Amino acid sequence: MVNIFKRLWQVNWAEQWQYRANLIMYLLYFLVSPVIYLAVWTSIAASRGEVNGFTTNDFITYYMTLLIVDQITSNIILHIFAYKVQDGSLSGELIRPIHPMLTNTLVNNIAFKALSLMGLTPIWIILFALFRPDYSGVTWLNMALSIPAMALGFIIGFLLSAAVTSLAFWTTRVYSISEFYFAIFLLFSGQFVPLPLMPDFVQEVAKYLPFQLSLYFPIQLILGKLSPEEIIQGFLAGILWLPISIGLFNWVWREGVRRYSAVGA
Amino acid sequence: MAHQSPILVTRLSKTYKVPEREGGFGAAVRSFFKRKYKDVKAVQEVSFKIEQGEIVGFLGPNGAGKTTTLKMLSGLLHPTSGGAAVLSFIPWELKPEYLRSMTLVMGQRNRLSWDIPAADSFLLNQAIYRIPDDEYKKTYKELDELLELEPLMKKPVRNLSLGERMKCEIAAGLLHRPKVLFLDEPTIGLDITGQARIREFLLEYNQRTGATILLTSHYMADVTALCERILIIHHGELKYDGGISDLSRRIAPFKLIGVMLADADTHDLSGYGIEVPNEEDLEKRYIQVNAGDVTGVTSRLLADLPIHDITITDPPIESVIEQAFQQ
Repeated sequence: MVNIFKRLWQVNWAEQWQYRANLIMYLLYFLVSPVIYLAVWTSIAASRGEVNGFTTNDFITYYMTLLIVDQITSNIILHIFAYKVQDGSLSGELIRPIHPMLTNTLVNNIAFKALSLMGLTPIWIILFALFRPDYSGVTWLNMALSIPAMALGFIIGFLLSAAVTSLAFWTTRVYSISEFYFAIFLLFSGQFVPLPLMPDFVQEVAKYLPFQLSLYFPIQLILGKLSPEEIIQGFLAGILWLPISIGLFNWVWREGVRRYSAVGA
Repeated sequence: MAHQSPILVTRLSKTYKVPEREGGFGAAVRSFFKRKYKDVKAVQEVSFKIEQGEIVGFLGPNGAGKTTTLKMLSGLLHPTSGGAAVLSFIPWELKPEYLRSMTLVMGQRNRLSWDIPAADSFLLNQAIYRIPDDEYKKTYKELDELLELEPLMKKPVRNLSLGERMKCEIAAGLLHRPKVLFLDEPTIGLDITGQARIREFLLEYNQRTGATILLTSHYMADVTALCERILIIHHGELKYDGGISDLSRRIAPFKLIGVMLADADTHDLSGYGIEVPNEEDLEKRYIQVNAGDVTGVTSRLLADLPIHDITITDPPIESVIEQAFQQ
């Protein structure tokens, strides 16, 4: 299995390099909304002193950290998998004795991340120079704890996106469904605004949903904004959502493959 | 252990539900609220079995159900009803042990990654199919001898010609030495030499490894060169299962009599049988007669006409198969 992943890595890494220009466009697209939120909220906070307890520096550090955490925990399954169901090019992968989603697609995502993080680094340094965030609240312990938190956030997010994308086996075109999924994600993950700025009921609902595990939880964990109880609560939520997302993905996948129509070719 | 055929198909059926609507705006709106579906019976109650080491040709016009059957047997499609066992596995359960012992070669893009050299895809396949290094080298060497792969391996697949790509696809599909091969149009898009080379290669692979092969092709030359047995499918139903040589006896029990006449164009041959064109031999005129009447018609021809030369042959397999499709 190690050998399979090694070879998959070589192939996918080489493939990602073929699409450098595409990657740069993606990075620019990816940067637009967080940087706008960052600019808007910092100017609001600057004029009012703070917003619901969030100071200017809180906003800057939140969105600057989000840029990195999002790169690590997000995935591009929809873009690299849905069309394979639509045009039948999944066939070749489906008859290989390895799981298409949990091997090739997974490695492809990781190769993409590795490369886009490399692209993000210089941009992040420029933003750092521009906004001068104060990261003095970050401790080594928080940094260490954020690694399993981000891993959990990535795995759960990956499985849920994989499940949503696998709906393509039923509808062929899955983009509208996933747009809806992303809208929910935007709201409840803390990507749009930090969750404490949301109405109380949104915060309450978000606590029970898996989306904040990909962004809000690891970001606030790194920034040292969470109490020990909140940290334990976050990890417990992750441990609870992990088997749920595994079960959900497996079920959707198994039922979906039955409906695969292997069009074309 | 009881003997079991590597490919066993019982009453296999596949019905596709296809959405259907009239053209025009009104129909488009109506179909948004209430979709009409039409059942398309792609494969209907098809049964056959194939013994180890056989090369069987799977023939039929476009849309007859060949590819659908191959897709079910390789596990890509779930059947609507009926069953199949390939190497004692149920294909659509997609068990890794099953997938490691069979291959499906379909069209041109399948196993090779478009953006990278074929060599990298080959190494990936080696890992995926868990092929030990020495075995991989041996198989690769054999494939290279037969298909001359080496000059192609370093180029990105997108830069290969159609024929080169097909060779690489076939080789990639055989690295793990599958026991059962499903080949959908393995020579499509190749020139005559390319086709001949793939055919030679398949025969040799079959003889070396004893693999069982089921293939579809639009080129009758593929079928006549490789297969002793053929299956004919039409409108999803199996129409013929048997030897290629028996086909003409069963479907078209007639012979062709070719005659070279003194003044070829002046004689009327309509009284002897149906005259058929033959582009390969323009010196003779050909008539088609029932197999039982050959002796009678031949002696009448010899008695009535100034004949320089006469031949009696079986009709070409292409036209027999064409006739079988039409029945």
